[in-house]
Amino acid sequence: MSSSPERRAVIHDIGYRTYDGPRLGTGSVATSLFTTGLLNAYGFGRSAKAKVLPLVVLAIMLVPAVILVAIMVVVGLGEGFIDYSTYATSLFLIISIFVAAQAPVLFSRDLRSGAIVLYLARPLSAAGFALVRWASLAVAILMFVMLPVLVLYAGALAAEADVSEQTGDLLVATAGIALLSAVLATLAGLVSALTLRRGLAVGAVVIALLVSTGFVAAVQSIAVVEGNEAVAVWAGLLSPFTLVDGVQSGLLGGTSSYPAAPETGVMAAVYLLTALAVIGTGLALLVRHYHRQGKR
Amino acid sequence: MPVIETWGLTKRYGPVTALTSLDVQVSEGITGLVGANGAGKSTLIKILLGLLAPTEGRADVLGHDIRTDGAAIRAQVGYMPEHECLPPDVRAIDFVVHMGRMSGLPPTAARERAADVLRHVGLAEERYRLMGGYSTGMKQRAKLAQALVHDPRLVLLDEPTNGLDPASREDMLHLVSRIGHDFGIPVLVTSHLLGELERVSDHVIVLDSGALLRSQATGEFTGTTGVLLVEVLGDAQAQHRMGEALAAAGLACRPRGGLIEVDTRHHRPEQRVHDTVRDTAVSLDVGLVRVQAEHGRIEDVFRQEVSHVQQS
Ligand SMILES: Nc1ncnc2c1ncn2[C@@H]1O[C@H](COP(=O)(O)OP(=O)(O)OP(=O)(O)O)[C@@H](O)[C@H]1O
Ligand SMILES: [Mg+2]
Repeated sequence: MSSSPERRAVIHDIGYRTYDGPRLGTGSVATSLFTTGLLNAYGFGRSAKAKVLPLVVLAIMLVPAVILVAIMVVVGLGEGFIDYSTYATSLFLIISIFVAAQAPVLFSRDLRSGAIVLYLARPLSAAGFALVRWASLAVAILMFVMLPVLVLYAGALAAEADVSEQTGDLLVATAGIALLSAVLATLAGLVSALTLRRGLAVGAVVIALLVSTGFVAAVQSIAVVEGNEAVAVWAGLLSPFTLVDGVQSGLLGGTSSYPAAPETGVMAAVYLLTALAVIGTGLALLVRHYHRQGKR
Repeated sequence: MPVIETWGLTKRYGPVTALTSLDVQVSEGITGLVGANGAGKSTLIKILLGLLAPTEGRADVLGHDIRTDGAAIRAQVGYMPEHECLPPDVRAIDFVVHMGRMSGLPPTAARERAADVLRHVGLAEERYRLMGGYSTGMKQRAKLAQALVHDPRLVLLDEPTNGLDPASREDMLHLVSRIGHDFGIPVLVTSHLLGELERVSDHVIVLDSGALLRSQATGEFTGTTGVLLVEVLGDAQAQHRMGEALAAAGLACRPRGGLIEVDTRHHRPEQRVHDTVRDTAVSLDVGLVRVQAEHGRIEDVFRQEVSHVQQS
């Protein structure tokens, strides 16, 4: 019997299949959301053009490190001539661009497209969603800043620098970069979630980061020239970069790249507490913001 | 056991009362939730999903209390919102896989089921395209696919035909019918077009300004109204003569356009009326083109009830 078109259609249409397999819990749902968010921040799983900016900026971030390593190896310079802990702060402009451009990917996109409703209609809670999104952004920033530092570290080891000394410096820098990533993810995430238009969100974050850092640098320079160290140190609390730089130099023994840094343990503790308070308050506000989305 | 049951469900937004002490039951099959704009349809769905807290009253969905078991409900329910909810810079396949993962499917199962449901909704070919370039009809299909990817025990579809042209509207209603009747998943589907759902739904719930107006089987809305429509063929006076003769035979009748409307409600059994009509036509020597029982429409019922409510 020859098969008629109808019969073939029936054979192709295998009908609806039910699913009786396992359903994973909150942990794996959160992990999957985290991974997808991290990939999305670098443009993966999105359109081709979404990959351009993050990858170009990452390349720019890596160039100085690669050149330094090349010099170190060629010249045979045993001592890495740049401190890991100052690398991030010296490239704060590029970091700011990356953070401003990619924070809206994780914090404006779902709200703007309306996809947030689909997430909230699924088992993960609004608070869980906000925290996982934050973790994706923080780790995306951490990777962005750490990658060139790891290149420098590898270069230093290749140039036969002292391993234990280099590793100690690297750990200090890593702690500082982790704190910087958390602070930046909180501030940029919050601004992006509240500013739905992508262009506005990017602008708002860039301005907030550059203006605050520029303002602090200006105030510190003037205050130091005038001999008013205290004002200079207090001013350092007002920018994420000087804030983390202060924690790094004051508590972890890193080198400060700014005119003023906390010199007493108390002041260094104030820096750390300020950083933690920013993260805590920002996360609470983010959670509250996402909690409200389902009610609209 | 009903899949949804509510007791005295009330929702107030400040001075606005969106739902008024609603008692409804939804069972297997397809249930249409109809009501004009602002009747409270979306509000009810969001409460059932645990996204909104009711002001008063309670509800169970799939046996779970909405106040305490929101996460369990959301794991087993598929939801298609009325507004846009698709990220434009993502391919449909990637998005539906991701949403499957968000509902707890393991990676392989999510990939298989996403491909499956995209085929069922008719996006097999287009699934590798970014959704930003989709037409409204394709977007609605993608929204439906994400609501099905985790093989839910119940789907809540909020205005799935909204913004569609007549042909896509038919396709969407056909899909809704397949979900409820072939896939065996209970469906609660809303529409502000009162008549739209009568062909696909087994049961209809009519909301009017947040209050329950009717909740009954579709057949009871669309059953015969007791009116017989008669059409005859003959000379120019055929219809008039036929009408006169039927009236003379004791039937309550009147003209309606080119038809004669015969009210059978006071003449039981109805078969006797049919016989009278046939015999009268024979004796007058006019051709009987049709004798048809008139069927009701949800829209008519709604109009009658609303005008009745407004008068009282
Ligand atoms: N967040 C809100 N704040 C205040 N009032 C609201 C809110 N959401 C809905 N309403 C009001 O509640 C009522 C019911 O709204 P709802 O969206 O549930 O109606 P609907 O039946 O879905 O209408 P439509 O067909 O337009 O989608 C309306 O009067 C609406 O204005
Ligand atoms: Mg609605």
